[in-house]
Amino acid sequence: MAEQVVIAPLVVALATAITTLFVRPVPRVERAVSLAGALAYLGAVGWLVVAVADGTLVYQLSGWPAPFGITLVADALSTLLLGLAAVVSLASVVFATRFIAAAAERAPYHPLYHFMIVGVTGSFLTGDLFNLFVWFEVMLLSSYVLVVFYSGPEHTHAALVYVVLNLFGSAVMLLAIGGLYAVTGTLNMADMARRLADPGAFGIDPAPVLGLAALLFAVFALKAGFVPFQFWVPAAYRAAPAPVAAVLAGVVKKVGVYAIVRLWFTVFAAAALPGELALPGLAGDSVLAFFGPVLFVVAAASILLGGIGALSRETFDGVLAHSSIGQIGFVALPLGVAASAPPEVRALGVAAALVYALNHGLAKSILFLASGAIERSVGTVRFAGLGGLADRRPLLSVAALAGALALIGIPPLSGFFGKLLVFDAAGRAGAILGGGSAGGAGGALALGISLLGAILTIAYFTRAWNRGFWGPQSEAVRASTRPTVLVAVVAVLAGSLLVVGIAFEPVMAAANAAADAALDRGAYVDAVDPGVAGG
Amino acid sequence: MTQFVLAAVLGVLFAVGTFLVLRRDVVRVIWGAIVLGQAANVYLVTMGGLSGSAPILAHGAEGAGEGAASAGGVTDPLVQALVLTAIVIGLGTTAFALVLTYRVREEHGTIDLLELGRGTAEHGAEVTEPDVDAEARTSGESRTATDDETRDRTGDGGSRAATDGGARTAGTVRERGGRAGGTPATGASGTAEPPTGGGEGDG
Repeated sequence: MAEQVVIAPLVVALATAITTLFVRPVPRVERAVSLAGALAYLGAVGWLVVAVADGTLVYQLSGWPAPFGITLVADALSTLLLGLAAVVSLASVVFATRFIAAAAERAPYHPLYHFMIVGVTGSFLTGDLFNLFVWFEVMLLSSYVLVVFYSGPEHTHAALVYVVLNLFGSAVMLLAIGGLYAVTGTLNMADMARRLADPGAFGIDPAPVLGLAALLFAVFALKAGFVPFQFWVPAAYRAAPAPVAAVLAGVVKKVGVYAIVRLWFTVFAAAALPGELALPGLAGDSVLAFFGPVLFVVAAASILLGGIGALSRETFDGVLAHSSIGQIGFVALPLGVAASAPPEVRALGVAAALVYALNHGLAKSILFLASGAIERSVGTVRFAGLGGLADRRPLLSVAALAGALALIGIPPLSGFFGKLLVFDAAGRAGAILGGGSAGGAGGALALGISLLGAILTIAYFTRAWNRGFWGPQSEAVRASTRPTVLVAVVAVLAGSLLVVGIAFEPVMAAANAAADAALDRGAYVDAVDPGVAGG
Repeated sequence: MTQFVLAAVLGVLFAVGTFLVLRRDVVRVIWGAIVLGQAANVYLVTMGGLSGSAPILAHGAEGAGEGAASAGGVTDPLVQALVLTAIVIGLGTTAFALVLTYRVREEHGTIDLLELGRGTAEHGAEVTEPDVDAEARTSGESRTATDDETRDRTGDGGSRAATDGGARTAGTVRERGGRAGGTPATGASGTAEPPTGGGEGDG
């Protein structure tokens, strides 16, 4: 009966969301319930992490056997990202109890927030393609309202772009899911992987899977904010309240990345690429390998565009929002290398992407929370009104600096290992993208882009630091207040960066286990056990 | 025959949806997204196969089993369950999108996308940090007039009520999605009015 623990985080988040809905009339109780719920969520995820250490856990909803019912799967990959979600979510809720206090009585911040966490949790746990769509919608519906929370001119404008794009994305996702169902005859991810691996035995023609996977890729790229679909990101992140922006950038973005890792590396890797569709000069013959160069190009464009965009921003949160586009490129780059790499490099690439995603999730939420704390303390995050913050608010400034240094990749912080692994993976791109003719060309290109991206990161954070934190104190900074709780949250999270950076061994082990879980299709299929289909 | 009719209907639905999404009027864009969503639903139904009878089985009868649809037994009921779910989700998102459109009109006084874009450009995409008390502290030295127009993030309803007032006044003169020239009516005029407090609120 141990498998019931799989739904524990979902149940906790859902119960918190519903309870906060009922206690809304009493803001103090609502905040207490919200905080207790976030703590319980962390506990539930911790319990799940311990339980999954012994092996993948599968929960068949309502007791329906695998391919017929909805399956929830908790493996090392899911729990790694759930852990990130739980930590960031708790920090964000503590922050929000102070930050949203004035508005909480009028707008249902806490219920919406927890419904968003329900959607995130479900997306990480589900083993069913259509169910993934449903959890995405749960997550998105709440995030729409949270983005437009302040409902001023830019907020409504940003939310409008965000909503219309995602309405469009949802329709495209339905198309892809319907097509995959028609081709493979199943929606269960494990069953789909099993059928794609042996199309002859199930009488299916896997050729359309490539195009349908491309449709799905566009949808997930939209959610993750990869470059051709990045334009909603800055406005939406800046419109959302700071604690929500922290979760959107830190966790919700990673749901798109998770979906790509799970579906491409576990499921679509099984599908053979029809010979006439293979890109010339590229290694690999699976649908996954086809997407290697696609991911690579998308990642390179994200890194460069996000970095250059962040260079010219006039506000601190504007820098952070654009930086998110660039940093997600650093997550996609090793994935692109891994996708078309031989199996022995593949695990390294996926692990690099996951470590970088964890680091970015922590560091970017610190920075967005710091931006919120600055806004509450000083009244502005425009560089024109800042200056001298490092003297006036040293703790807050140091915490923000830690977040920035982690994204740059300075050694004692967790970001160092993230960058190291990404560069390691990038260096191995040579054999793949060079296509045999010029062995090191791909690797040199990948390394060059990573290096340029890292330099851009240093440049925009240096500029932000110079203009916002150093220099003479502005009037506003001199008159700033001390938001004790907000600064404490940011400082504690910043401390966690240092802890992760120094005690990195368990994190690396978790990331390796997650990468293995993502790549070990056989174990995934065996765990879900859709074998009863038709039998 | 059914296949051809459905294929044609799907093609028309996608064409209409795409056409509408590319309009300037926000309401039409939302309509386009709705039509595309419904087209996806119809497509989803067709993916389960078109032949077969209603999937109703006598109590205790042998299950339809996998592949029964293609075998000419009953139609695949799964896609219909999926479509039901998708329709319900679509209802929620559509309702929210329409309310948001109304809210956009209240805030900007227009739902013409070009004017919305221009309005944002004029306000500067970087303008967001309006904070009433900060403004008092900084004595506005580093702020431009456009900063002042944006409402507070602290949730104090005062300045928002003023913004609403301005937008509404402007909105009554303007045809919905009108393409008449002139500067887009943003909430700018509202800042001249004293905050009346209260605010309409949105929830």
